[in-house]
Amino acid sequence: MTWDDVIVPAQLPEVVDQISYERVVMNAATTWDYVPWHYDPEYAKGHGHPTIFVNTMHLAGFVDRIATDFGGPGSRVVRRRVSLLGSIYAGDAMVARGRVVGKRMDTAGKTPRYLVDLEVAIFNQRDELCCPAEVTVELPAA
Amino acid sequence: MSADISYEFAFGTYEDAARMVGTRTEPRVAGSAVSAARIQHFASMVRDSNPAYWSSEFAQRVWGGIVAPPALLVGLLMPPPWMPDGGPPTASIAVRVPLPGTAIINASNEAEYLMPVLEGDMLSVVEEVVSVSTEKTTRLGAGHFIETSETYYRGDGAVVATCTNTLFRYTPGGDQ
Repeated sequence: MTWDDVIVPAQLPEVVDQISYERVVMNAATTWDYVPWHYDPEYAKGHGHPTIFVNTMHLAGFVDRIATDFGGPGSRVVRRRVSLLGSIYAGDAMVARGRVVGKRMDTAGKTPRYLVDLEVAIFNQRDELCCPAEVTVELPAA
Repeated sequence: MSADISYEFAFGTYEDAARMVGTRTEPRVAGSAVSAARIQHFASMVRDSNPAYWSSEFAQRVWGGIVAPPALLVGLLMPPPWMPDGGPPTASIAVRVPLPGTAIINASNEAEYLMPVLEGDMLSVVEEVVSVSTEKTTRLGAGHFIETSETYYRGDGAVVATCTNTLFRYTPGGDQ
């Protein structure tokens, strides 16, 4: 996809990803984030959580996957903001709903950048909003 | 009671914490260069098929090398959980801000990725305490929001990313 091809506004297809215990433990292992509530259910319960949950890097990685699946292999995430309203626990699903909200040419640097702004919201399987995100991808111009 | 804290929190009062605002760390350097193994393990965990992470030929042609997923950047600067010198791993400056809370959870994160990070890059990070809030009560318990910023550098000195993170340091409601 190129920047010229992008239509604003547009809905992105919903993506559902089941998060097993294996995925949450893999999340700790791949990010080297061994705070115990990412791998120890008893520790998580002692801190007011029903069980272990994924960290911010996993949520951000899921948002980026949605963004570059939309933009194609020539696209790159240049900015992302995530808010953590609720956690995604082992046994939950991550449900991403996104839309294209803008496209713009950024001329602040030496060469213009062709940018597309997306809003991606991650819900759990109970339709509770856990992680609203804004993400900007850079695309080839044409 | 909370379970043991295996990551080294600093404890103190809000006034102690407020005195740390503006503190910048010395650069913390990753122990090894960015590797395709870590890139692909993370992409596998996220289930991201982006060829920038998986195809050497594609990544070399389009980006100049296998690309690190932007979301993994914080992880690339995490110290290993055990070190041969026996010292505890250096935690992020956010958990070294002295406060009463016994637990932490992230509230928000904003990052700007100025250029791709590639396999083989040697990364470092400088962190700064931007602000500490007065006590707030959320559904999790009472505590303080700590805003920190991070600047990520490549070995040649280029800034590859900047990031602002807000973390909630609290005492779980059941502990009070």
